[in-house]
Amino acid sequence: MKRVVMRILDGTARNGWSKAVEWMITLVVLTNCAAVVIDSVPEIHAEFGDWFHEFEFWSVMFFSVEYVLRAWSFGARYSKEEGGAWRGRKEYMFSFFGLIDFFATAPHYLHALFPYLDLRVLRVLRLLRILKLSNYNTALQDLFSAVNSERKAFASALFLLLIATIVSASLMYFAEGHHQPEVFGSIPHCIYWAIITITSGYGNVEPVTAGGQFIALITGFLGVCMAAIMTGIVASAFSNQMSRKRAAFGQQLRAALADGVVSDAERELLGKLQRQYRLSDDTVNSMLEEVKKELGHGA
Amino acid sequence: MINAIKQRLFEILEGSVHDRSSRACEIFIATLVVANVAAIILESVQWMHDAYHEAFELFDLVSVMLFSAEYVLRVWTYGVKYSKEDGGAWRGRKEYIFSFYGYIDFFGTMPFYAQLLFPGLDLRVLRIFRLLRIFKLSRYNSALQDLFDAIKAERDSFTSAMFLLLISCLLCSSLIYIAEGHLQPEVFPSIPATMKWYILTIISGWGNVDPVSIFGTILVILTQVLAIALAAILTGVVATAYTTQVERREALYEMQIREALADGVVTDEEAAQLEALRLQFGMSEEQVENIARQVREENAKGAAMANKAGASGAASY
Repeated sequence: MKRVVMRILDGTARNGWSKAVEWMITLVVLTNCAAVVIDSVPEIHAEFGDWFHEFEFWSVMFFSVEYVLRAWSFGARYSKEEGGAWRGRKEYMFSFFGLIDFFATAPHYLHALFPYLDLRVLRVLRLLRILKLSNYNTALQDLFSAVNSERKAFASALFLLLIATIVSASLMYFAEGHHQPEVFGSIPHCIYWAIITITSGYGNVEPVTAGGQFIALITGFLGVCMAAIMTGIVASAFSNQMSRKRAAFGQQLRAALADGVVSDAERELLGKLQRQYRLSDDTVNSMLEEVKKELGHGA
Repeated sequence: MINAIKQRLFEILEGSVHDRSSRACEIFIATLVVANVAAIILESVQWMHDAYHEAFELFDLVSVMLFSAEYVLRVWTYGVKYSKEDGGAWRGRKEYIFSFYGYIDFFGTMPFYAQLLFPGLDLRVLRIFRLLRIFKLSRYNSALQDLFDAIKAERDSFTSAMFLLLISCLLCSSLIYIAEGHLQPEVFPSIPATMKWYILTIISGWGNVDPVSIFGTILVILTQVLAIALAAILTGVVATAYTTQVERREALYEMQIREALADGVVTDEEAAQLEALRLQFGMSEEQVENIARQVREENAKGAAMANKAGASGAASY
C-alpha cells in the first residue's frame, strides 16, 4: 500500500489516480496563490479577511496531509538492505521539493505557536507553494538543464555585465557626481543607474554634461550587446540540447531497426522516449526515413 | 459540363494548379484585401470620413459583393475535393466552412449583412470584424502558418518560459510589496498593483518607479536582469524552433530530389512537383540549387565507384 501511495504521489504510476492527484494539487496551489495575491488588497481583506483565513486553514491541512503522506510513503523506495525506510524519507525531506513542501506549510504552525510573528514573511512563504507545480513540468526542467549545460558561458556573460556596470558607473560618478549629487552622489548610486541603463536601454536620470551623455550612450549600447550575447547563448544552449536529444533518439531508433522489425516493446520504448524528449511527430518521421535509408544503403 | 467548371474553379481558387488564371485570381483577391484594409484605416480619419463618406460606402458594398461571391463559389466548388466514395460533396464543403479560412471568409463579410438586417441597431463594433479580411492574405503566404507551426512544435518550451515568468512575478512582486509597500503606498498598495508594475518592468525594462529601500533596490536590479534572461529565453526558443523547422524541410526536400534523381532523369512532372514543394516551403532557389548539386555529386560519385568496380572486375577477367 505504501508503494502504491508513493507511485501515485510520485507520478510514476501514470494512471488515473496519479493524474487526479496531480490535478488536485495543481488546483489547490493555484487557488492558494490567487488567494494570497487578492488578500493583499486592503479593501478586499477588510471584507473577506475571515473567509481567506478559513481557506488558508484548510489548505494548510491539505498540504500537511500531502507532506506526511509523502514522507511516509517514500520509505518504500529502498529495501531494507539498501538503507531501509528512513533513507528514502531523508532523501525526500532534503530534496528541493521536500524543502519547498516543508517551508510552504510549516510556518503556519509556527505562527499558531507564536502569534506575534511578522505576517508578511509568512505570506511570501505561502507563495513558495507555486514552486510545487514545477515538479510536474518537465519542460521547465529541460530549460534548467539547457541553461545549466551552458553555465560557463552564462557566468562569463554575467562577469561582462559586472565589469560593464562597474566601469560605466565609476566613469559616470566622475563625470556627473558634482553636477547631480542627489542621483550620482556615490558609486553605488551610479551602479543602480548603470544597471537600469544597461538592462532597459534608458536610465532613470539624464546626464547633463557632455562627458556624462557620451558615457550614457556607450552604456546604453552595451545593454544592446548584453541582450544579444545572452540571447545567443540561450539559443545555442537550446539547439545543442535539441541535437543531443535527436542523437540519443536516433541511436535508439537505429538499435530498434537493426533487426529489421520494430517489436511492440521497442515501439513502446520509442514512444516513451519521444514523449520524454518532446520531439514532434514530424521530426521523428523524418529521422525514421533517414535511418531506414541508411540501413538500406548498408544492405 | 458543370462538374468540369466546378473542378476548374476549384483549381483556380485553391491555387493547387499554378497557372495564369489562379495567379490572377490570387493577385486580384490580395489587391482587394489590401485596398479594403487601407479604406478601413483611412475611414477612421475624421475629415476623410466627412469628405469621401459615399465613396467608402460604395467601395465597401462592392467588396462585400465580391467577397460574398468568393465565399459562395468556394463553398460550392470545394464539393469536388472528395469523390463520392470518400464522403461526397458535403465533406469538402464542411471541411472548408469549418476551417480557419472558412471562418475568416465568413466573419469578414457577415457583419455587413447583419447591418442590413437590423438597420436600427448600432453595430459599429461589428465593423472591427472587417479587419479580419487581412487574414485572407495569409492563405497565399505560408509565413504565418510557419510561425504557428514553429510555436506549436515548441509549445512546451513556451509554456515553461511563461511558467517561469509567473513564478518570478508572484515571488518578486510580493517581496517588493513587502520591502516597499509601506514606503511607497501610492505605487505598491497591494500585491496585484505590484504585479502590474512588475510586468511593466519585465516588458519595457524600467517600470518608472525607483525603489527607496536597499532591499527594494536589490530586488529591482534582480528584476531587470531577469527581464533580459526571459527575453533571451523566449528569443532562443523561437530561434531554435525555426532552425529545426528549416532543417526538417531541407531534409524533406532532399528526399524528394533524391527520389527524382534516382532514375537519372528529371521528368517534367517531377520538376513541377519539386517547384511546387519549393514554393510551399518558401525556400530560395539558391538553397534548392545547393541541395540539388550535393545530391548530384553524391550520385556521380556512386556511379563512378560502380564504374570503377565494373572496370576492375572486367580487368581481372
